[in-house]
Amino acid sequence: MKKKWNRRRTDKEIPLLLSIILVFFMLGVVVFSVSRKITKEMSDSAIQNLSESLDLMKGTLEAILVKEAEFQKLIAQEIAAMDNPGEFIHSYNRNHTMVKISLVPAGKKEGVSNTGEAFSEEGLDFSAGETIDGLPFSRSYLNYMGTWAYSMKCPVEKDGKEIATLYIEYVYDSFDESLPDGFYNGKAMLYIMDSKSERLVLKPKGMGERDAGHLNLQDFYRANNILEKGLLEEVSECVDNGKNVLFYHDIRGKSALNYMWPVNGGTIYLIGYVPVEAIQQEGKTVNQNIFIVVFVMFVAFTLCFILYYFNQKQQNRVRKEREKEREIHNKQLAEALQAAQLASNSKTTFLSNMSHDIRTPMNAVLGFTALLARDAENPDKVKEYTRKITASGQHLLSLINDILDVSKIESGKVVLNVDEFTLNDLVSSVDAIIRPMAKTKNQNFYVEVTGIKHEYLLGDETRINQILINLLSNAVKYTPENGNIWFRIIGLKQRSSQYEHIRIEVQDNGYGMTPEYLKTIFDAFTRAENSTTNKVQGTGLGMAITKNIVELMGGTIDVTSEVDKGSLFRVDIEFRIPESHANKQFWKSNGISRILAVDGDPEICKNIQMLMKGMGVLADTAFSAEEALGILEDIPMGKSYNLFLLDYNIPDMDCIQMAEKIRDIIPDNVPVLFLADYDTEGIEKVFGIKNSGILTKPFFVSAFKEKVEEIQKGLKGGSTDTEQDNSLEGLHFLAAEDNEINAEILSEILLIEGAECEIVGNGKLAVERFINSTEGEFDAILMDVQMPVMNGYDATRAIRALERKDAAKIPIIAMTANAFAEDEKEAIKAGMDVHMAKPIDLELLKKVIKQCIQGKE
Amino acid sequence: MYTGKGIRMVKKRNLKKIAITCLAVTIVFIMTACGNKEGKNKNLVNSAGKDKKVVNLFGPMEKSNPDADNMARTAFDITIGIAEKKLGLNVEYRTYTAENYQEKTYDDVTLDRVRNDMDDLYLLNPDTIQILGEEGELLDLSVLDSAENLREVVKMANMIDGKLVAIPQEVVAYGLFVNKDMFDRYKLGLPETPEDFLECCRVFKENGIETPVGANRWWLENFVFAQAYADLYNGGNTDAEIEALNNGKSKYSDYMRTGFEFLQKLIDLGYIDTKTAYTYEAIEGEGPGFLAQKTPIVMAYWGAANTETAYGNTDFELQVIGFPSKLGQMPVVSMTGYSINANAEHLEDTINTMDIILSDEALQLYTETNKVISPSKNVEVDCIKALEPLNNRIKENIYVLGSNASMKVEQWGNTCLVVRNMLNGATVDECLAELDKLQEESLEK
Repeated sequence: MKKKWNRRRTDKEIPLLLSIILVFFMLGVVVFSVSRKITKEMSDSAIQNLSESLDLMKGTLEAILVKEAEFQKLIAQEIAAMDNPGEFIHSYNRNHTMVKISLVPAGKKEGVSNTGEAFSEEGLDFSAGETIDGLPFSRSYLNYMGTWAYSMKCPVEKDGKEIATLYIEYVYDSFDESLPDGFYNGKAMLYIMDSKSERLVLKPKGMGERDAGHLNLQDFYRANNILEKGLLEEVSECVDNGKNVLFYHDIRGKSALNYMWPVNGGTIYLIGYVPVEAIQQEGKTVNQNIFIVVFVMFVAFTLCFILYYFNQKQQNRVRKEREKEREIHNKQLAEALQAAQLASNSKTTFLSNMSHDIRTPMNAVLGFTALLARDAENPDKVKEYTRKITASGQHLLSLINDILDVSKIESGKVVLNVDEFTLNDLVSSVDAIIRPMAKTKNQNFYVEVTGIKHEYLLGDETRINQILINLLSNAVKYTPENGNIWFRIIGLKQRSSQYEHIRIEVQDNGYGMTPEYLKTIFDAFTRAENSTTNKVQGTGLGMAITKNIVELMGGTIDVTSEVDKGSLFRVDIEFRIPESHANKQFWKSNGISRILAVDGDPEICKNIQMLMKGMGVLADTAFSAEEALGILEDIPMGKSYNLFLLDYNIPDMDCIQMAEKIRDIIPDNVPVLFLADYDTEGIEKVFGIKNSGILTKPFFVSAFKEKVEEIQKGLKGGSTDTEQDNSLEGLHFLAAEDNEINAEILSEILLIEGAECEIVGNGKLAVERFINSTEGEFDAILMDVQMPVMNGYDATRAIRALERKDAAKIPIIAMTANAFAEDEKEAIKAGMDVHMAKPIDLELLKKVIKQCIQGKE
Repeated sequence: MYTGKGIRMVKKRNLKKIAITCLAVTIVFIMTACGNKEGKNKNLVNSAGKDKKVVNLFGPMEKSNPDADNMARTAFDITIGIAEKKLGLNVEYRTYTAENYQEKTYDDVTLDRVRNDMDDLYLLNPDTIQILGEEGELLDLSVLDSAENLREVVKMANMIDGKLVAIPQEVVAYGLFVNKDMFDRYKLGLPETPEDFLECCRVFKENGIETPVGANRWWLENFVFAQAYADLYNGGNTDAEIEALNNGKSKYSDYMRTGFEFLQKLIDLGYIDTKTAYTYEAIEGEGPGFLAQKTPIVMAYWGAANTETAYGNTDFELQVIGFPSKLGQMPVVSMTGYSINANAEHLEDTINTMDIILSDEALQLYTETNKVISPSKNVEVDCIKALEPLNNRIKENIYVLGSNASMKVEQWGNTCLVVRNMLNGATVDECLAELDKLQEESLEK
């Protein structure tokens, strides 16, 4: 798909690129032709300019020559008029132009010269017959000053008769000032050539590139590599005929325009060359500017193109990202839809299940109630029916509790009640519930606690309990008879010294779960369904509740399972360690600083050691009876142990026998405690040992401490019988209950217990009745919460607000179907003493009432 | 390491930079275009440069081959360039070279130009230095700061009547340029004495080399100088001997006799072609034969070994040795110096220009470029391998002077002319008589 899209994109880009190249190519062609045209026009114009410049120079030189001739004629006329022309000649001082004046009288070969020496025409060559303004013009020669010169001779006539000849010598250097200074910015070369001798009689000064100049025309040709025979012949012919010559030829590797321009009909020549680049400077500049403009345009266009390209790229990227996001959203929506459909299906299934699950116990209740009505006379059947009705009711209640829990968790209303608890209590209470359940299915239930450093922790014990009960009850449910269930609490490495990191493992070798079910096990309204577990009752909410509570506590839960092999639930969770505790003091005050623990399991020994170290108690360990006895024999009596902890199932010796041996060594007042499993048979034999007790496994310091306290009390003669009398005999209650059935049940129950109860229909009536009662008339008020006219909270506040002496003291017990923690908080806040959730547990009610009454007393 | 996002960011940043650069260039163009606005009420004629200071230099012109660089001129131009830059003036060249032997020589033209105050600065040959110095046409260059750096030999050779009238940019040493390959081919050693030289020429001649010595009309007198003054300049009594020559107690002809006789022998045995030698210009005439390996021996100045227009690029192993003498190979040192016209139009600028082109800084550049012997005692450079034999002799202080302004009879030019007479058929005695005549004339002054 992507490749296809890319190919489509490339297919689009190639024609675009070709079009751009074509446009640029056409632009290039146009610019090139314009440039060529400009170059040609400028070149023609430059040649024209050069020709005009040379014509101008030619004109100037001719004008000079003519003026020189005219001036010479004028001097000749003046001399003719002089009486003593020789004196005039001698008195002449040379100037820059006329450097020598000589006069030869007619008929004589020698004459006088201003330079002093005798003068004759011999040294001058007028044979060429060239003239300037009619005066003969000599060939060029090197004069007495060492520079190139020419002479003109002019007859001196007096009265129409030639009396002498005036010779004047002129130097070519004088032309220099009349020629352009720096011809073509010094790039052009300009010589004056004597056309007959072809000597270069005036050369450029400075010599351009400071290379050697040239002697004559041949040297000029040779040095500039102008050797083409045809060209030379043509040029020679032109020179002979006094014509202009202009031709292209490279000079020192550069194209140049060579010229030869006759002056005075070819007597002398202006020769030289102008590099084409100097001639076409303007054209070159124009072209350069055109190319700069084109280049700038090209750069600008390229920049625009690049910007466009990057913009397109950016847009493509954004579009791709959006498409990707859309895809993700669509996927998420699809998943959400699927989840919603699944949830809907689950809820439908759940409602169907609930309908079934509620109707089943309800059917049992109603059915057995009908049977009860029929067999009311038969006490055995009544008992049987009431037991079954109770069981069905209990099931119905747990069903309702779970539904409420899920509802609360999903709405985020669950609040943890964090308080101090001990792992010992936690394990004991869970053990007390699960072990009987496991026992009924002949399952083995193993409890293991290892690596725990702190057993006093801060947390919501009730919710932790709920987690454990959920996991373990499931294990019991989904493990066949004679199966094994392991409950492990493992201390992990602490991440912070303030927190105990604990792993809870619940493992069984039961039915296990399919991978498909594992994916949804923590979703609400799901339940493993198969032929085996169909028999198992449950709401399917337990795991969802468990996971939510674990996560609420900041922990994690995961599960591994295999069908027919069992499951392993693993909960990792951290509990805050409460600040300093008085436990250390307890051990010190009771004189226990060193104990000996004897257990065949090294893990248990290590655990005991670690826990007791935290209490300031040194715990020595022995893995066998023999080892233990050996240790005792080595230790002097004075430094003996303050307490002994013996595993009841010590491998190498009967535990009682060993205890007796220890007793022989140690004094009677040193307690000996036996570590035993919950239901160890024959355990009662240990009571034969003096000052001993039983400590149920697993080992917990708190349990250990309680047991030590118990023994210490026994030693001090105190009674351990803490049985309380919870009888309600003779008590008088005021109950506010709007539901007549509930009111009747309550009334009947209390009556059975020998107590009296006066029922009122709402809170307001309750307040009024209390106001009207005498002090001490009622021992406590049982208050429903949701009632018409005035609810339980308002009624409580009203009662507490009364100025009566007993208004503040009288126990008010909330009895309500509002069973949530916040309901309990609200009740306490309103001034109630205790909150009890309906349905009423009679035993609990009795206990709570007694505690309240006694507390107030 | 760049992430994909990082690279995109860098690209974006680069793009911004490019865009800003383009914008800046555009602004520069616009501003340049706007900045060239011409003022309407302004004189548009640029007269700058027209009033620039000028120094006129007259020097010889070498005929150049197409597209060839003239190394010596380039080196000289470098020093002139320094002066022009420092002084803000133009040095304008005026040149002359005779088209043929019948025309006025460069020296003739120089004499005319100096006497007529045509130029400011001149490059002069030793004979013209002597003539013009004696005439008082040349400025005393002792005023130059750079004169203090000169070697004593340079000062001595250019001193006339207590005036330093010329200073060269290089000490020109003349020697024999020999084709070592040809000497090897005929198993000949390089000649030390006149006898060795004659033997070598004999062997070459026998082996079909018609004219073993390529000569021109300018430099044959070096054979004479080498033999004439070997003892005078290397004997430890130089000043006294020169004094004796100047007051007529000794005769130049006595010193030069062996040299002229040797030259006569070379001519008689056909080792030198007098006809060509009489007409050939330096290098231009005999050079092609030497380069073509038809002639094994020519004579030339030091710089010719470094110059492509002369013998700087031969197809054979070139060696430059001294002229044969009884003291062995003998370099002949001559000096073509720069002089200032005492009546120069631009005198001050010319003096300043001279001071710069003869400064140690300029001479260092000149000497490095041309690989020659510097007149400044502060400048030393290595020479090329071919020149080592000649250079070694000069380092040993074994040489003769071809020109010495302290000798009253000018040597370089006069001897040259006398040698030309010999080429034209004069006998040794006639030549020596000419020298005696010159000496007498000098004594009469």
